[in-house]
Amino acid sequence: MFPTPLDKRPPSARVTYQAFLPLALIAWLLPLLAVAIFSIKPGADFTNANYWGVPSSFNFIENYGQVFFNSDMPKYLLNSFLITIPTVIGAVALSAMAGFALGVYKFKANIWLFFMFVAGNFVPFQILMVPVRDLTLDLGLYNTKTGLVLFHVAFQTGFCTLFMRNFIKALPYELIEAARVEGISEIRIFWYVVLPLMKPALAALAVLIFTFIWNDYFWAVVLTQGPDSQPVTAGITAFNSEFRAMYHMMSAGSIVAALPPVAMFFLMQKHFIAGLTLGAVK
Amino acid sequence: MTSLKTTLAAALAGATMLAGTAFADGHAKLTGDLKIFSDMSNPAPRAVMEGMVARFGEMHPDLNIELTVIDREAYKTQIRNFLTADAPDVANWYAANRMRPYVDAGLFEDISDVWDEQMSTELASTKGAMTLDGKQWGVPYTYYQWGVYYRKDIYEELGLSEPSNWDEFKANCQAVIDSGKKCFTLGSKFLWTAAGWFDYLNMRTNGYDFHAALTNGEIEWTDDRVKATFANWRELLDMGAFIDDHTAYSWQESLPFMTNGDAAAILKGNFAVAPLREAGLDDSKLDFHQFPAINPDVALAEDAPTDTFHIPANASNKDNAKAFLKFVVSAENQTMINAGDALGQLPVNNKSSVDEDKFLLEGFEMLSSNSPGGVAQFFDRDAPAEMAKVAMEGFQEFMVKPDDIDRILGKLERARGRIYK
Repeated sequence: MFPTPLDKRPPSARVTYQAFLPLALIAWLLPLLAVAIFSIKPGADFTNANYWGVPSSFNFIENYGQVFFNSDMPKYLLNSFLITIPTVIGAVALSAMAGFALGVYKFKANIWLFFMFVAGNFVPFQILMVPVRDLTLDLGLYNTKTGLVLFHVAFQTGFCTLFMRNFIKALPYELIEAARVEGISEIRIFWYVVLPLMKPALAALAVLIFTFIWNDYFWAVVLTQGPDSQPVTAGITAFNSEFRAMYHMMSAGSIVAALPPVAMFFLMQKHFIAGLTLGAVK
Repeated sequence: MTSLKTTLAAALAGATMLAGTAFADGHAKLTGDLKIFSDMSNPAPRAVMEGMVARFGEMHPDLNIELTVIDREAYKTQIRNFLTADAPDVANWYAANRMRPYVDAGLFEDISDVWDEQMSTELASTKGAMTLDGKQWGVPYTYYQWGVYYRKDIYEELGLSEPSNWDEFKANCQAVIDSGKKCFTLGSKFLWTAAGWFDYLNMRTNGYDFHAALTNGEIEWTDDRVKATFANWRELLDMGAFIDDHTAYSWQESLPFMTNGDAAAILKGNFAVAPLREAGLDDSKLDFHQFPAINPDVALAEDAPTDTFHIPANASNKDNAKAFLKFVVSAENQTMINAGDALGQLPVNNKSSVDEDKFLLEGFEMLSSNSPGGVAQFFDRDAPAEMAKVAMEGFQEFMVKPDDIDRILGKLERARGRIYK
């Protein structure tokens, strides 16, 4: 069922593993390394086909200086935070409540309601592009961060509810019954009994949703325009011009844009893994 | 009610004219709002756009100008959105057929009244490109020349000089090939670069008027004259004039062949100069020549794509927008924004002066005195988008499989029958 642990394998297997691991790692990280190296190269290196070699001059300060002080990147980054954080809070809060209702109460339409949340996940969001754009327009939310946040909350709640409902369903029901016997109101049960138990799920979900929303490009382009409302994923392409792609600037911008989710991942690594496997093992 | 509206409109129009006249004296101060959407997102064009807004703002301190700069590629999809939804007062776009969808949909304002006699004289070279159905739909702010940019040092080493006709052009190329290099670098991955070759070969073989009629859908692609263009192209292909595997490169990725000296020249717009200079080709190594005549009976014509400003039909401050458009094309502003340290392109106003830049001077000279046939906008702006896509795929395919020319032209002809109705 499980692969034999490495230290119990024959020495030849161990040596092969140790030899190939760095190679695989380098091959895997090659695109990222290229971006990192490009971000400190001058633009001329691209025209001279110096794609992989040593930078002809070390332009770390110039390129990153441009990104931070001579472009709209800081504005885009701020937008990303202003879009991502409310979405995370909104989606997690809503889905915790919906998950509680679906996981604890037994009513007729329960399973159908739950299926609707699940089914929502299977709607390809490209199909929704035109109606959602028209809707935000009619609501006066087109090209605003609020519109983007509301849409993301609505769309992410489906997945989050599935996740939360299953987690709450797995909690011992006796806890809730015991609380009811004590005469505690339902809302207090949710707040004082269920919510503390859900902390790992909340953390895991928050990390997942943070990376999802931070990396969203599609809706950023459909629902917003310009540095007043667009997040950083859409803002990176602002370094392109009519004819020339400024690869060195885009690389530097991408590195900066990738830092927050990477930092988030390292800080919350434990929860992230938990988030991916939660519900998989029961 | 209707009559009241008409009166109001007339009063407004009167006010515009007053504002327009007074504006020339620099006295009338505009008030209210002016919302501009621009696709000038690269650092230099962006600085130009912001500079223009700042200077216009100084002239009209009470005017509240709001500028939004959008990435050039994203702009192309967003414009459909914002022209209908959240229209600005001024928006960037392109000349000729590229503005037709928005003109036909009634999304661009007819601004023929802005094009008074003085402006029409000063902007004569681009007026045609701004005219559809006999009306003007915007103003140009910059254009640039196309032509052959070549490695001067390689030409000198091989004892070659700038060709003045097709035979010299091919002889030069043969000499370059014999020295173990390729004549032309080309990156046709994104198709449009091959269209540059088609534009020039067709305009030199059949002339500007034929080319315009062809891109307008009036001539069959299977016409013998079109085949003559491809036969000329084939001569270059059979010589092995182009670098190998050009379909794998973007135009930027094709530049290293030139900087390394593996290819001697590139057919490109003036925007190629900046990266080539950055990569170390100074004026002693890089030079420019006009694409030579092929058929001596047709007048020389050039590609010079023009970038423009328009007023969306749904704009709310059209009078302010018109004043801004007039400011954009004024001779002084044109000199300033097209200078080498700004856009580095050619001013559209013939009263403007051109920067002391070798390539700009040659381009200005070429377009103002040696392009009697006319000025084309580039294939994908002259032909409707759908036709341009099919045709450019055909050009690329032809460059790889020249023997399939009849099948390819048949395909283009079928597309023509479908697209131009």
